[in-house]
Amino acid sequence: MQEPVSGDTNMASPPLKTSVVNPAANPRRMRRIIAEDPEWSLAIVPHLSELCLQHIVSNFEKNPVVDRLLPEHQRKVLDRISTGLPLTVTANLISDEGYWKRCCTERWAVCDVSRYGGSWKRMFFERHLESILKYFIPNTTDPNQVLEVIPLCKEYVRKLEIDQFLPPVKLDQNKEEDDMSDSGSDVGVDEFCMHHYDLGVLTAALSHLEELHLTYGVKDCGMNFEWSLFDFTYQDCCSLANAFKKCHALKVFKLCRSKVDDEKTRVLIRNLLDHPCLVELDLSHNLIRDRGARAIGKLINRSKLEILNLCNNRIRAPGAQAIAHALGKNSTLTSLNLRINCIEDEGGQAIGHALLTNATLTSIHLGGNELSEPTATLFSQVLAQNTALTSINLACNHIGLDGGKQLLEGMSDNKTVTEFDLRLAEVGQESEYLINQALKANQEIARLKTLYQPNSLEEKSPDLD
Amino acid sequence: MSRAALGEGEPEGPGELRRPSLNSEERIAARRLRIAARLEAKRREALGEDPDAKKAEAEELSRSHQQIEESRQRLAKLLNDGTQLVTNIQVAADARETQRRAEEDELKRQRLEKLENESKTNQDKFEEITSKWGSAKEKTIPRDLWDVLNLQQQQCALLIEEKNKLISELQQELKSKDDQYVKDLKKQSDDINLLVERMEEQIRNLMKTYRRELTQIEKAFELERRELLSSNKKKWEQAMQAHNAQELANLITRMQKVEEYEKQLNQLRVQDAEEYTTIKIQLENDVQILEQQLQQMKAIYQLNQEKLEYNFQVLKKRDDENTIIKSQQKRKLNRLHDVLNALRMKLAKQIKQFQEENQTLTADYKRIVEQYKDLQRTMRHFAVIDAQKFLELWLMNEEEAKGLAWKALKADRVIHTQQLGLPWVEPDSWFLDNVGPIVHRKAIRSASKLAQEVMALTESSQQEEEEEEGVEGGRKEAEAEAGEEVKPPRHISVKSVKHILELLCDESVSPSLPAPTAEGSVSALRRAGPPQNSFLDLRIVFFS
Repeated sequence: MQEPVSGDTNMASPPLKTSVVNPAANPRRMRRIIAEDPEWSLAIVPHLSELCLQHIVSNFEKNPVVDRLLPEHQRKVLDRISTGLPLTVTANLISDEGYWKRCCTERWAVCDVSRYGGSWKRMFFERHLESILKYFIPNTTDPNQVLEVIPLCKEYVRKLEIDQFLPPVKLDQNKEEDDMSDSGSDVGVDEFCMHHYDLGVLTAALSHLEELHLTYGVKDCGMNFEWSLFDFTYQDCCSLANAFKKCHALKVFKLCRSKVDDEKTRVLIRNLLDHPCLVELDLSHNLIRDRGARAIGKLINRSKLEILNLCNNRIRAPGAQAIAHALGKNSTLTSLNLRINCIEDEGGQAIGHALLTNATLTSIHLGGNELSEPTATLFSQVLAQNTALTSINLACNHIGLDGGKQLLEGMSDNKTVTEFDLRLAEVGQESEYLINQALKANQEIARLKTLYQPNSLEEKSPDLD
Repeated sequence: MSRAALGEGEPEGPGELRRPSLNSEERIAARRLRIAARLEAKRREALGEDPDAKKAEAEELSRSHQQIEESRQRLAKLLNDGTQLVTNIQVAADARETQRRAEEDELKRQRLEKLENESKTNQDKFEEITSKWGSAKEKTIPRDLWDVLNLQQQQCALLIEEKNKLISELQQELKSKDDQYVKDLKKQSDDINLLVERMEEQIRNLMKTYRRELTQIEKAFELERRELLSSNKKKWEQAMQAHNAQELANLITRMQKVEEYEKQLNQLRVQDAEEYTTIKIQLENDVQILEQQLQQMKAIYQLNQEKLEYNFQVLKKRDDENTIIKSQQKRKLNRLHDVLNALRMKLAKQIKQFQEENQTLTADYKRIVEQYKDLQRTMRHFAVIDAQKFLELWLMNEEEAKGLAWKALKADRVIHTQQLGLPWVEPDSWFLDNVGPIVHRKAIRSASKLAQEVMALTESSQQEEEEEEGVEGGRKEAEAEAGEEVKPPRHISVKSVKHILELLCDESVSPSLPAPTAEGSVSALRRAGPPQNSFLDLRIVFFS
């Protein structure tokens, strides 16, 4: 009895499948054979329910039946339906994460679900929409392609990371000029306008959109590189600014590496003023100068911004002074990054002054700003007075030994700063070492505060060595 | 020191920032200790606690906790160092970038200056050349012109050469920048590879150390557990032994106590037996007395019970009767109420009815009075007329009768004289002279005349009677009863009649005068004036 049946198992995988969880548990139905393949079954003719489920799976596109099934049948159907089903059918019907996980892993090699709030469905729709937008060529691709997808995915898309925007294909010069006259823009210098996709429609439709990461550039252009591929035109800027107005849930906005200069910054900021929920703004790796910095200073106090990243721009002392002026009156910003600008001592000192009065900023990055000893002196004062800062970064400046000593003095009075980066700041090893000691002590204080709220002093001493 | 290590040509990439020599390490370690000691002393002073006590407390911390602390520190340091190592690359890149920018700015500035200078000098030269064109045009001699033109050409060539040199310089710079860019690109890719390597290494290290630390901690815990177990076991053994000894001692003391207690118990038992018997006797006596009392009480109780029952029955019966009477009375009350209500209603109805009757009767009375008055008037009228008629008839008939009587008398006379020859005596023929009815001669007097007489004559009663009659007669003039004399009631004196008349007068004459005139105006007038006045008023009364 055993052999012929085991011979059956060695043959082609049987299409017969019944889910038997643990056959040994039920003595009445226990067989003498317990196969290793849980889907193997002695029965040659599949159950009628099996046949129905197979039929449902194969005809899922025309007749999507999922809700009215029993949970176990639902499970089987969801595990078997093809990932190539059109989104119009599956988008609003299936919310089972397993199915979407299959879709994601099939389509993309690298899937880190923690970046999408743990939801595979969300990952799928966001990446799907991103890929449509990334390969969207403005005058060639049918805009309906995007419009069709929007009603399917608007419930699930919360974050969009679009790191390339394709420009319209360069046809005849004449045609482009016609287009130009049609669109009614007056770009004097450029011969034809490289307007990228307008996000206005998208942001208005996606009501749950909270994060937007944009880069106006082209990846993988290889030898077809042209500077004009990386233009973020004024028209684009205006349409983006208008898109902000319609996006009421936007919390995080990042526009990096897009050659954003002062004019465009001002246009964008004008439409971001008093935005109800914008919390993080990242305009790093652009070409913002002092006027843009002034606009940003205004924005700091007229919105709920908490994190501001302006690294690698062209902000100089006046810009930094404008930002510092806004910072002095501000109470929402917690993190400011002015890395690799060129604010010099004037700007550094202005920011130092602002920090004497500001009590909410916790992290500031002023690396690579040509700061030197006067700034260090002021910062030592800040260290002594300010109790909100926890992380300061003055790396790659020219602080020097004296500046280092001043900072050390300031640190000795400070109990809250837990990170102070002075690499390549020429402060001397001794100062650096001692500052590190003070930091370690502060780190202990912070750690203990979080662990043992009532008594924080007793455990401290054995750790000092 | 560390900055020097960051040279561009370093094969290992942006330098390891911490590679101090042994000497400096020692120095650092020494400094470390000194500073740590200083800080700790400061802190302890600040806390104001005994440093020794703290140390003692610290040593008490269990091994596993120590291990955990150590591991944590080690791991934190490792993490920190690893992160530092990884971010060093970024910091170095930042430094390079800032340097590059500074250099770039400098170069740009220089270039700009150079270009400006060039353009300035070339502008001067160019102006020189153009100015020479003017003078060239004026030259007529071809040789001179050729010389001038040659000169111009040379100068122009010079200018162009300089420009070309500038252009080639700039192109060279551009090329070198391109190379630089390629080199930078390569460097950055190397950096990125290094970064990736370091990140992976860090992760591996961390995982390894975490695992190691975890095993260490586990071992520490295990060790601690075993130690605790053994120490506890020992404690347990000791405790058990002590416990056993204790138990034994307890047992002995217990036995002693038991003997003692037995003795005590026996003693107590004997004592108690005696007490018991005495008390028993006492109590039995008491019991007997109490039983007697009880019997008495029962008898009394029985008696009372019966009395109360009897009273209760009586009261119940009375109660029943009372209720019956009450109900009867209530019924009567209701009935009487009903009757009362009915009577009241009837009364009301009757009152209404009588009022109505009264009204009708008064109306009738009034009417009848009117009629009566009318009747009286007519009666008077008719009486007068009848009297007149009667008089006339009487006179007529009297005349006739008188005529006949005269005839008869005449005849009689004749007869007597002629026939009989007798003397004729004339009978009494008073009636022949009578004129008018016989009876009523002295009865007809008007009421006014009567009243007058009443007023005038107040002394004689006879006349009073007459007047009374007359008054009555006056009143009853309407009655056509000839010769009837009505006797007025004799008890009314003349004075009262007078008074009555006066009142009548007052009432009718002066109805509008106010009541306080107790004496009527009539009486006043009477006193004031002659009695005719009152008489006048009376007349008015009677004829009104």
